[in-house]
Amino acid sequence: MGVIHVEGVSKIYNPDKIPVTALQGVSLTIEAGEFTAIVGPSGSGKTTLLNVIGGLDRPTSGRVAVGGHEITGLSDNELIDFRKEHIGFVFQAYNLIPVLTARENVSFVMLLQNRPAAEREARTQELLAAVGLEDQIDKRPAELSGGQQQRVAVARALAPKPAFILADEPTANLDSHSASNLLDIMARLNEEEGVTFLFSTHDQRVIDRARRVITLVDGAIARDEYRS
Amino acid sequence: MIYLMAWRNIWRNPTRSRVVILAIALGIWAALFMSGFATGMMRNYIQNAITNVVSHIQIHHPEYQADNNVRYTIPGADSLRKTLLAIPEVKAVSVRTLVNGMIASSQTARGVQVKAITPGEEATVGLSADKIVEGDFFAEDRKNNLLMSKKLADRLHVALRSKVVLTFQDLGGNITSAAFRITGLYAIGDEPFEEGHVFVRRQDLNRLLVADLTDSLNVEQHLAHEIALLLSTPDQVDPVQAELQKRLPGLRIETYREVAPDLRLYESQVQSVSWVYLIVIMLALVFGIINTMLMTVLERYKELGMLMAIGMNKWRVFRMIMLETLFLSLAGAPLGLLLGWGTITFLGHRGLDLSRFSDALAQFGMSNVVYFAVPQETYAQAVFILVCTAFLASLYPAWKAIRLRPVEAIRRI
Ligand SMILES: Nc1ncnc2c1ncn2[C@@H]1O[C@H](COP(=O)(O)OP(=O)(O)OP(=O)(O)O)[C@@H](O)[C@H]1O
Ligand SMILES: [Mg+2]
Repeated sequence: MGVIHVEGVSKIYNPDKIPVTALQGVSLTIEAGEFTAIVGPSGSGKTTLLNVIGGLDRPTSGRVAVGGHEITGLSDNELIDFRKEHIGFVFQAYNLIPVLTARENVSFVMLLQNRPAAEREARTQELLAAVGLEDQIDKRPAELSGGQQQRVAVARALAPKPAFILADEPTANLDSHSASNLLDIMARLNEEEGVTFLFSTHDQRVIDRARRVITLVDGAIARDEYRS
Repeated sequence: MIYLMAWRNIWRNPTRSRVVILAIALGIWAALFMSGFATGMMRNYIQNAITNVVSHIQIHHPEYQADNNVRYTIPGADSLRKTLLAIPEVKAVSVRTLVNGMIASSQTARGVQVKAITPGEEATVGLSADKIVEGDFFAEDRKNNLLMSKKLADRLHVALRSKVVLTFQDLGGNITSAAFRITGLYAIGDEPFEEGHVFVRRQDLNRLLVADLTDSLNVEQHLAHEIALLLSTPDQVDPVQAELQKRLPGLRIETYREVAPDLRLYESQVQSVSWVYLIVIMLALVFGIINTMLMTVLERYKELGMLMAIGMNKWRVFRMIMLETLFLSLAGAPLGLLLGWGTITFLGHRGLDLSRFSDALAQFGMSNVVYFAVPQETYAQAVFILVCTAFLASLYPAWKAIRLRPVEAIRRI
């Protein structure tokens, strides 16, 4: 059993009005240390799948287990706590709290976890250095470029030592240089620190960096291939 | 860090926040201004009532108040006056003889109370020369001079130097009459009092009261029904009263609040009035605060969704929005309090002259200049009510914030 285990998950939006089937019977397992891309045409269900895995949305049927914990039956507040402890998120945009500096953004989740100040401070320095922003730590998001903001978001997602990081189109708003820079950092963290990444993307250059590519079509897995 | 975030969040839209902060400051200022005005009016009214009518403390025979019979005299009143003047808190004492009777002019008659006084004593406690609008304050040394108000003179169709006849019951129970000449007209700005009271010399009235008695000379000197006291420290009224009551168990000692219960009522009413002002104004501000905070929450929909996605639970989000509301509301408090305090101190010193607007005040026994004042507690009241208001105003936006679903918020990214 892997770090993520999805079994027979379907998701139907608006079951009462005009039902939209976003996922149908998706099953997959992600092992620790993977660097996996979810691809597929627009509307194929990538975001829905990531949201269901991340406990942001509930599947209509099927089961999702993260690190051996079944999350399908948890309440809203239990899900929030679960996400805080076990899952790192990188969204397409609006990842950071605008009124906090890069440093404060990274320590924020650790603060929610009541980690001691010394540990927070040390880990924040270490993570911002790992994403190459050691000299930007006291800037607010508005003072950083889009690529820098996404790198802070990766550092922030890693801060609570989650089981894996979910990233829905993390490079969609970035120019190609920033995008490849972000990918370099993610790949290095994956190789050197063993961080598990599961991300969705449209971008062929990003797809080329993935070591496993899962293709969704109409809410179902059409292909699942490993690259060397 | 939630505190820091809440504080910084307020300044994300500085113009909007400044408007709210300013509105709150002005609201507090307005409430303090109105309380200061009301309290100033009250003190003005009470001060006038004390100097013109009731003084701080009155001493009577225990039965006098119920019956007003001339027989209920205060024994040894004049030597008691000297004892009273020796008390450090006592500033002035006036001994009075009182009778209820009839005053008649050639055309008409009315019931009045005759206050018989020794001019030198009375001037230090109640009626004095500066209240005389025509004639003088017992300046000539003739017998049977009388002071009445301008109002009463008009009612009786008499003028200065007219003769009037007083009729009353003497100590022997006989009806007696005497002619008095009007040598002065007074005005104190208290119509009911002015229409019902005339002043004569105590020696004149005492002589008439004891005319039938055999040892009249002896009684005449002692005869008095009322001793009125003015204190140098008005806030000592209650302890001084208690002390006097202990020393003079056979007499009734009353403070102005007992002599004129309407004054006490007025005092207590004004204290609650400042609560009413504050609550009404804050109620109006509540909607402004709620509106601003709702806008803030809606604008930050995505951000709040992200916060909940990465692990900030609902209670923490709720608390953050509440804190923001509290900070926003309380930020205006120091400014409002300072403005209010400044205004009250200034107008407490200089006074606000209302004579331009009306002389109506004078008709109710008040002076035309109002000196603003508020009890110290009013400032604490203002802060207390503001905190309650802010707390209430924070609940709805905070509740709105935690109702959002992170998936939907994030979808909109
Ligand atoms: N809240 C919703 N209500 C109704 N239908 C929805 C909702 N969210 C998504 N859908 C539908 O579900 C399907 C899958 O959407 P999803 O966003 O998961 O696709 P996607 O692969 O992420 O697309 P894209 O590449 O454009 O981001 C689409 O048909 C979409 O219209
Ligand atoms: Mg998507």
